[in-house]
Amino acid sequence: MKKLLASILFVAVGLFAVDRLGGMIMWWVNQHTHDVSGPKIKYLVNDVHEDVLLMGTSRCNLHYVPSIISDSLGLSVYNGGIDASNNIYAHYLMLNHILAVHKPKVICLEVMANDFQEEADPFNTVTFFAPYFGINEGADSIFRMAGQYWKYRISHLYRYNAKAASNLAGLAINRHKGGDNGYIPSPQPAHYPSYLEHENTPENVDSLKLKYVQKFIHLCHENEIKLVFMVSPMYTEIDDDYYDVLKGIATQNEIPFLDYHKEGLYHDHPDYFKDPNHLWDRGARLYSSVFASDLKRILKQEGII
Amino acid sequence: MLFNSIAFLLFFPIVCLLYFCISAAQIRIRNLFLLVASYYFYMNWEPAYALLLLTSTIVTYLAALGIGHFEEKRKKKFCLVSSLVLNLTILFLFKYYNFLAANIETAFNACGLGIDIPEFSLLLPVGISFYTFQALGYSIDVYRGTTKVERDFPTYALFVSFFPQLVAGPIERSNNLLPQFKQKHSFDYDSVMAGVRLMVWGYFMKLVLADRCGLYVDTIFNNVDKHNGGSYLVASLLFPFQIYGDFAGYSLIAIGVARVLGFRLMENFHRPYFASTVGEFWHRWHISLSTWFKDYVYIPLGGNRVSRMRNYFNLFVTFVVSGIWHGANWTFLCWGSLHGLLLCIEKALGVSKQKYTGVRKFYHWMMTFVLVCFAWILFRANNLSEAVTVITGIFINPGTPKPEYANFIAIGLALAVLLTKEFADEYQWKIRVAESKSWFVRHVYLIMMIAYIILFGVLGGDQFIYFQF
Repeated sequence: MKKLLASILFVAVGLFAVDRLGGMIMWWVNQHTHDVSGPKIKYLVNDVHEDVLLMGTSRCNLHYVPSIISDSLGLSVYNGGIDASNNIYAHYLMLNHILAVHKPKVICLEVMANDFQEEADPFNTVTFFAPYFGINEGADSIFRMAGQYWKYRISHLYRYNAKAASNLAGLAINRHKGGDNGYIPSPQPAHYPSYLEHENTPENVDSLKLKYVQKFIHLCHENEIKLVFMVSPMYTEIDDDYYDVLKGIATQNEIPFLDYHKEGLYHDHPDYFKDPNHLWDRGARLYSSVFASDLKRILKQEGII
Repeated sequence: MLFNSIAFLLFFPIVCLLYFCISAAQIRIRNLFLLVASYYFYMNWEPAYALLLLTSTIVTYLAALGIGHFEEKRKKKFCLVSSLVLNLTILFLFKYYNFLAANIETAFNACGLGIDIPEFSLLLPVGISFYTFQALGYSIDVYRGTTKVERDFPTYALFVSFFPQLVAGPIERSNNLLPQFKQKHSFDYDSVMAGVRLMVWGYFMKLVLADRCGLYVDTIFNNVDKHNGGSYLVASLLFPFQIYGDFAGYSLIAIGVARVLGFRLMENFHRPYFASTVGEFWHRWHISLSTWFKDYVYIPLGGNRVSRMRNYFNLFVTFVVSGIWHGANWTFLCWGSLHGLLLCIEKALGVSKQKYTGVRKFYHWMMTFVLVCFAWILFRANNLSEAVTVITGIFINPGTPKPEYANFIAIGLALAVLLTKEFADEYQWKIRVAESKSWFVRHVYLIMMIAYIILFGVLGGDQFIYFQF
């Protein structure tokens, strides 16, 4: 039994040391990687300074060209959309980090069904942000809800689990080439998508997510940030009331809601899409001009520009 | 309870602690404790299904008592057949009924005779094929007189439900495992540490290799219409490692868990992708199942002590049954049939008897690997039509595979680690790490592997593929 206790002690101490050392190495890797989302998260947490910040998932990342929007508004713009960040929890987490270093004049949040409907595992992608665990109380509250708080407290190495391979790949391959203030153009697809079947309005509304939409709005109001919600084009047909839950919240809080999906923008243009949910570069550039002009109108009305 | 869950990581040390707190001389109390722990382990999925496990246990226990009790062969046979029929009926109902009903409906509809057969809507109980086969193996062994009747019900119940191998094997033989429940298992440091090392390697195979491959493979095979031949090819080359890592990983964890407690389970995988013939592959892959089919299906059919054609038939039928054992889907049937056919061809050409060396060995290894990978496409595809799409796509519509650089790097690293270990074991290299003579090296190995799993493992608690069988 003594031998076993010695083994357990040696492994525990050794693992602790390797975990802490590994955590330091992976932090360095994370800060120097050129993978898809690592540099963007690092920029948002440490250096963001633009007047207009676009937030959301890959639909934000791939749909908004900052230089086009910036030319139209005369304000600096950064596309802070993060691939697969999935829903409002990740956006709220990120907003907490951003507000610790900078208060943009305008935040435009690309919303989607995941921001209000129930999901089997709504926190699965907040793990992307784990390298920045322990530096912002508001952001850490999301890890606590996700049941990851103590895991990240105990293991520094585990904080890099979701993105370790991606971060390492990003040391060898620069996937940020040709970027435009956070926007990375998507190449033309081999095949244009087929029109997706009709999607019904989700009935399983998640009240906790709506609470976090409200908290997101509250944080923006508190910091005197003009908030805009938008839904960019999709190559699908949906019910007219699909986004009514979010539109209701937007109306209550006097937030403009730009719904390009319902307007049917590009429904006759599969050649602008790389898949039913994402535009490729050509579609994104055309859409960004339309969006920029609408945003300009809103910001003029508000006296921001 | 999954081996790769936090619940198991709490459950297992507690079970070990309590198990070793009970005096080694109190074998019966220890067995009762393990029996309770095993049922608790199983009931974590769906408590009601423990009743099926208990039913199978009682039926095979009573059948064996009957076989031991009666002198007349006719009565012994009746007991055995009753056990087979009852167990296989339960298995059929849960696993094959809906498949058969759907196919009968389709056949009748094709003839213009619309019929509607009611569905059996209960979910397939985890591990039913494994424990049913283990219990049936015992009944047959008792009938054949190769194993003694176990009269102590708790001991027999523990043999059927022993938690390390309950849900996905290895499918143990009564004459290996049952006697171990009657032996004294004192705490043995070397055994415990050897078991822990096996578990850690098993976790590596499952969490770092299999689940990482699965991220790519599942994306492609579950969305066949959205990808090209290049992606099909990469996914088809990764799936063999996914299923190997998943299943061999589970087996290693099971063997390791049992070893910590002082039990020795049979080896289930012996570096299958080093095989130079399909026949050799089956001596290395899922050994507990292939030997089960050999002993209880192939040999009763006549084995190879029959005419050549009858031997081919026996071989083919055994593999068709093995295919169906894996699941109620035409894909498994075709996969089993293809392996049966390949084995018949090897036998006809005399390939299986040759001992190859050098370039010829490499050529045969390559051919075997390609054939096995090809057959895995049938196994993995969601249905036959998608399997055809994948196979034709690889040849007709090649293109750039879906790039997932991060995954490819992680898989490449994991494969490098796996292959180094497998080569070292296969060719008996002198440099050993996990089994080094040095205490320090063995412990540093454990630390590094655990850290590797924490960093690169897919720790979402995914199911093991073989649980569905």
